[in-house]
Formats: sequence, C-alpha cells, structure tokens
Amino acid sequence: MKSKGVVAAILIVIPFVVYFAIPTYNSVQPTLGGLSFFYWYQTLWLAISAALFFAAAVLIGRKP
Amino acid sequence: MLPIDGFIAFLALFALFVGLGFGAVHWRKGDLGTLHEWALAGRRLGTALVWFLVGADLYTAYTFIAVPSSMYAVGSIYFFAVPYVALTFAIAMLLLPRLWTISHKRGYITAADFVKDEFSSPALAMLVAMVGIIAELPYMALQIVGMQAVLSAMLIGLSDVATVSEVSLILAFIVLAAFTYTSGLRGATLTAVLKDILIFLSIIAVMIVVAVSGGFQSAASHLNLVHTTLPTKFYNAYWSLFIMSALALCLYPHAINGALSAEDAEKLRKSTSLLPAYGIGLAFLALFGILIYGNSAALAIVKLFPPSSQGVLVVPSLILSVLPSWFAGIAFLGIFIGGLVPAAIMAISQANLLTRNIIKEFKRDITPQQETTISKWASVVFKFLALGFVFVIPATFAIQLQLFGGILILQTLPPVFLALLTKRLNKYATMAGLIVGVASGLYLMEVANQFGAWQTTLYNTPLGLLFIGVTALGMNLIVTVGGSLIIPSKTTNPAHQKS
Repeated sequence: MKSKGVVAAILIVIPFVVYFAIPTYNSVQPTLGGLSFFYWYQTLWLAISAALFFAAAVLIGRKP
Repeated sequence: MLPIDGFIAFLALFALFVGLGFGAVHWRKGDLGTLHEWALAGRRLGTALVWFLVGADLYTAYTFIAVPSSMYAVGSIYFFAVPYVALTFAIAMLLLPRLWTISHKRGYITAADFVKDEFSSPALAMLVAMVGIIAELPYMALQIVGMQAVLSAMLIGLSDVATVSEVSLILAFIVLAAFTYTSGLRGATLTAVLKDILIFLSIIAVMIVVAVSGGFQSAASHLNLVHTTLPTKFYNAYWSLFIMSALALCLYPHAINGALSAEDAEKLRKSTSLLPAYGIGLAFLALFGILIYGNSAALAIVKLFPPSSQGVLVVPSLILSVLPSWFAGIAFLGIFIGGLVPAAIMAISQANLLTRNIIKEFKRDITPQQETTISKWASVVFKFLALGFVFVIPATFAIQLQLFGGILILQTLPPVFLALLTKRLNKYATMAGLIVGVASGLYLMEVANQFGAWQTTLYNTPLGLLFIGVTALGMNLIVTVGGSLIIPSKTTNPAHQKS
C-alpha cells in the first residue's frame, strides 16, 4: 500500500525537522538537573528518533 | 599512577579481549580462505550483532576523546555529534539495505565493487577505493590518539611515560594484527561486543556518581554561555556539521563493510533504525566535556598536562577521579579496546578496497585464495601505517585530520548513494565531480586555516561560518548532476539489463 510508504516517510522526516529547528531548542531554560535545555532536549530526541525510525522500518518491511 | 588493582583489572580484561579475538576463528566456522568469510564473517550476522558492529562505529575514540575534548575546549557547537548520530541512522536504514540487497545478489564486498558495475567503470571504482582508503587513515590515527590518552592517564607520575606508552601501543597492535589476520571480521565482531559492554558500564557508573554528588549543578555554576547554549553565529556551522557528518558516516568503508555482513536486508534495516537510542551514551560522553568543570579533582589532573593535550584527557581524568581504581581499570580497558576494535574493522575494509578494486584491476588472474591472503596482509600493513602516522604527527592535529577525512569520504556520495537511487549518472561527470569535490575541499581547508596548520573545518561565507564539507559536496553535485544532464549515461551495462 502506498499510504504506508507515506506514513514511514513522515515518521523519518520528523527528527530532521526537530533537529534543524535550532532556535526552538537553543535555550538554557527549562533546565533538567542543572543541564540546559539545549543538551537534554537533543539527547531525549535520540530515544524518540529511534522509536520513530523503528516504526518506519517495520512499515517499510511489511511489503504488500 | 593508577593503583595496582586498576592495572590488574585492565590486564585481565585485555587477556579476555585477546582470547575472544583469537577464539572467534572457531565461531560460526567458515572457510577463512575466502574473502567473504574473512572480511564479512560469511554474511551471517543477525540483528543484535549488526547492532554491535555498526554501533561499533559510534563508540570509537571519536566519541570518547575527540568530542569531549572539543566540548571542553571549544564548547556547545561540538554537541552537533548528537543530531548527527540521530540522523545518520535514518540515512543508513534507507540506503544500506538497498546496497546490501544488490551486493548480496552480485557478490560485492566493497562499495567500490558496486560502483564498478553500476557505471561499468573500473577507473571510477578505483578512485572511490582510493578516497576510501585515504579517508580511513586519519580516523584510525585518531583511535591511536585515544589509546595514548588512556595510557598517559594510567601512567601519570611515571618518569618515562612516552617510552612505556609507545611500547605498549606497539605490543597491542601486534596482538591486534595477529588476531585480525587469523579470524578476520569474526574477531572484530566478538570483541566489539565486549568493548561496548565495558564502555556502557563505565558511562553509566560515571553518570551515576556525578549525578548523586550534584555534579551537574556544580558544573552549571562554572560554565559560561559558550558551554550552555549555542551562540547564534554558529547556527549554520551546527546544522552543516551534523547533516554532513551524518551522510559521511554511512559512506565510510568500515560502516559499509559492517552493513554488508548482515544476514538479511530487513534485519539490517531494523537494527540500524534503533541505533539512535544507542547514541545516548555518546551524548553523555559529550557532556563529560562540560561536567568536568564542576569536578575540581578531575580538573586538577587535566591541568597536569600541557594545554594542547588537556582536551583528550577529559574523559580519562574524570574516570580516574570519580571511579574506584579497579573500576577505572575496567573503564580504561574499555576505551583502549574502543580504539583497537574500530581500527581493526577499518583496516579490514581498507584491505578489501586495496585488493578488490585496485590490485585486482592490474592483476586480473589472482585466485580467490590469493585475494584473501593479500587482504589479510594489507590489513596488517594499514594498521602499522596508522600507528606510524601517530608517532609522527601531534595529537591535536590528528583530530582535525579526521574531520578532513569526513570531507573526503563525502565526495563518494554521488557514485555510491546517488547511484543507488538513480541510473542517470554519467561516469565521466561523476568522476569529474569527485575530483572537483576533493580539490575544493582541500583548497578551502587551506584557505580557512590561512595556509597554516589545520585547526578548523569551518570557514566564513555570506551565510556565516559553514562546514567545508557542504561546499565541497555542493560543487561535486553541481558537476556530477550538471554533467550527467548534458551527457546522459548510456545504459549498455549488462548488469543493468539483468536487474
């Protein structure tokens, strides 16, 4: 199904959009345990990216 | 100096490492006289092992030495390594399974094998192979710089640290060369698992101790703005560094070598899609570069060294001051083999390029057995070449050279990745593009550094500071794509008609 490919593409593109939007996360506040937002937000997105990519991989793998 | 129990832990685990490396020859037994068995472990690695082998590229000296070092000395811009790790695996999960499928069908071992058939051009393949071999060398040298840093932290206070660490490095490399010769990628895979387990244990231990002792807060109070957020003038440098590095990682011969050793394309895709999560450890290591500002004991150790080598000692010093000595020994061994294992994989991939895509073009009648023997010996030679490199060139320079290696390997993007997506590229245009890309990269490096010693890979543009890789790849693409539009490729290649 073609729609599966579209969904997979969207899932893959999301982390690119997030990381390219540098001004949206380039701040000290809110801090997490003393760490500025800039650092913990990008680290958190590693886990989210893995989840999104894996979902996309499963979608791509299930060929009709 | 590290107390004796630290040395015992280090040496005991090194013995385990050597045992695994040689013992791997009996693991999933195959005929190691053939190249696909020696260099690709018979293409039988499942999801978990591919994770460790491709993930092995994440935990190298680049991660525990170069990134924390630059975070410490320069600041937040080097956190680009985090988005780079996230995005590189999106590219990997899309393109590498495609390359795997074609390679499996046609028996390719290197990316240059693919280029040769795809463009029916041994010359272009040879060019891609040469760029690959050269780009790996500084990357290997960086591994050795990392190993040196560990040794100098362990041997602080000894009168002739330099001699002891050089002898230790040579011994370690003889052992490494011997087991890579014997067991090939099997040895590298099993030791990669050991390496990653030790490194993860160490990162978690350091993070727990630092967090419990309130290290984050105390570091935060010592930091200036360069270390807490990204100065706006670095925005373009930041994205250009992370996206170009993401593209470059998947093009490195050792990454492709790891990918091709997977047992099927779907397992390769799922395994690589999850790897960004594995990068969390890398983010923590990068943060060590700023956390050290809150740890006066570690800072005192770093300050024992001349300013030029302080950066590379950030992680070893933090380990030394935070962990009990026996645990520090384990962590040091993790970093030490964290340099050795990637160096082995890199040397294997260089050796394959040399035999299959360069030597074989001149001597077409070599048998598969001869091909393997030459590769095995070449892997030994490349390791010692990298070692010699480090003894000649200062450490800080090695880090910059590694970044230049990234600019070089990026230039193979059109013949390898673009060719996976389109069949319209013309071989002459692609060749010209590659040469223009390499030449402009080299020229801009010289301009950016005022024709002096290489200190930076960023240069001033109307857009502000930008990574040279972007411009070099841009010029490459203009020539490759532009040229291919003017002279369309003739698909007379029999390989195309078959597929």
